[in-house]
Amino acid sequence: MRADLRSPSSIRERGDPSLATLIQQVINGLSLGSVYALIAVGYSLVYSILLFSNFAHGGFLVIGGYICYGTLRTFGTGIWMSGALALAGAGLAAVLTERLAYRPIRERTNVTLYLLIASMGMSIVIENIFVIVAGGRFRALPPVIPTAPVNLMGLATTSAFDLLSLVSAVVFLGALQLFLSKTRWGLAIRAAAYDLRTAGLMGVNVNLLISIVFFVAGALAAVGGIFLSVRYTLYPQLGAITIKAFVAAVIGGLGSLPGAVVGSLILGLAEMLTAGFISSQMRDLVVFSMLVITLLVKPTGLFGKSVSEKV
Amino acid sequence: MSGYTEGILILLCINAIAAMGVSLLTGFTGIFSLGHAAYMALGAYTTAILTVQHGIHWLPAILLGGVVAVAVAYFIGVPTLKLMGDYYAIASIGLGEAIRLILENWQSVTRGARGYPGIDPYTTLPVALAFFVVLAAFMFNLINSRFGRACKACRDDYIASSLLGFHTARIRVLSLMISAFYCGVSGALLGGFLSFIQPVMFDMLKSTELTAVVVFGGLGSMSGSILGTAVITLVTELFRPISQYRMLIYGAVLVVIMVLRPEGIMGNREFLSWVKAPFRRRA
Repeated sequence: MRADLRSPSSIRERGDPSLATLIQQVINGLSLGSVYALIAVGYSLVYSILLFSNFAHGGFLVIGGYICYGTLRTFGTGIWMSGALALAGAGLAAVLTERLAYRPIRERTNVTLYLLIASMGMSIVIENIFVIVAGGRFRALPPVIPTAPVNLMGLATTSAFDLLSLVSAVVFLGALQLFLSKTRWGLAIRAAAYDLRTAGLMGVNVNLLISIVFFVAGALAAVGGIFLSVRYTLYPQLGAITIKAFVAAVIGGLGSLPGAVVGSLILGLAEMLTAGFISSQMRDLVVFSMLVITLLVKPTGLFGKSVSEKV
Repeated sequence: MSGYTEGILILLCINAIAAMGVSLLTGFTGIFSLGHAAYMALGAYTTAILTVQHGIHWLPAILLGGVVAVAVAYFIGVPTLKLMGDYYAIASIGLGEAIRLILENWQSVTRGARGYPGIDPYTTLPVALAFFVVLAAFMFNLINSRFGRACKACRDDYIASSLLGFHTARIRVLSLMISAFYCGVSGALLGGFLSFIQPVMFDMLKSTELTAVVVFGGLGSMSGSILGTAVITLVTELFRPISQYRMLIYGAVLVVIMVLRPEGIMGNREFLSWVKAPFRRRA
């Protein structure tokens, strides 16, 4: 998207609903959707364990983005080092958020509404710390991720960045899948998603488990944050984009990880196809209409557990 | 009374009306909303369009503004409130953003993002005060009525209350509709107070503020919500010189309240019971 906006010839092509544009928009959509998936999966993971919407999730993404930006700018580290620092930093910030804000509430009561409000407070705090410390300016990451146009077997042109973000998302989601299905802690997390209390009674260290879940969620959000700050720019309110990841998680079914991935890809495709063929002002409206339609037609989402009231 | 004081008092009434609506939903029914500014926007725009373009008197126009908000709340509430969990919270974000985007892009009716000027300044202090008193009287009676107790039952244990024969989903939708009416009226009065409205006034920050006020005052206390509104509105005026820290303090206060005193200033008690408590004989 970013690369082709600059060259006038591709702008002329955008209005033309040819096969090349279609392929290009599909790749763009999958790439954007895969970034949403990284965010939505972490959010869904937390939801599946603690059954509340962590609205501070967008904050983790912003923290990751700023750590990456800061280390690239001040220490001149490479993208691999900065990326790793961003992942670790956002993961730790997520663990810290859980320790400071959620654990005291969790230990006292099981009213998830309190957790929800505390998470909203945390999201405001994180956003405004960056407003005060870093300023509200829009910042562009140094050109560490290639955005050069790539030709796909003469069929369509897309940017290397889109392919790269798609591949990275697949790698990280694959790693998460391996972690959840092959390790002992993965097994514990799956058990806790089924029933946290029972998992605790079976000898799982629940507090450590929740910390691990938050670390994973924060780190995945940081990956999403880095790619989003290359795609758009970096600014304190970038976390607001997690709304779309929430929508994707609802479309896929709240608390379901495959649902979050599929929902994100659908959302990314819908957004990019709308931008390519209708108008880019309509893309957000399409996103929210899809949310409303999902809730009207199949409220539990594509892969959701049934949570409807029986009465 | 100076114009400035009068302005603050009017704003206080307007904010308190919206806070009472959100309080019924969040404090008494246990449903969390992040999009109630959208209902304010619906009320404000309906009233503005009716009074300016169709020359309707402001009183029926304000009530119609509330009714439009109720109608939208019904269509959003029926599918989402049947579900337990955070479905309404997320749907309300979507609704809030969608309504704001529609208002911004529907140029021919709403005049777009630049705002809607020239609304008749009908919200004088007596008008705002009258609306506040009538709506507050209704609300305080409502929360002690059969319906109010049913709301609290749904909040505390929806399985037990449905076993007792309450139609919990219907009660939740009705609670949402009443709260939407309060927010719609509040938005309509805001339009008449500022005589200018803009879609960006009703963004997610405003929704967050509405909920924050209710949490701050005490979930499950109507007088607490009004007290919370008074404190936050006045503190906002005091903090005007350091406005960049205002939102940071807001967020931190929300977290600290949830950690230390999740029941807010008033807990779930009402002001009168609080005053009477020391004089009551111990049972």
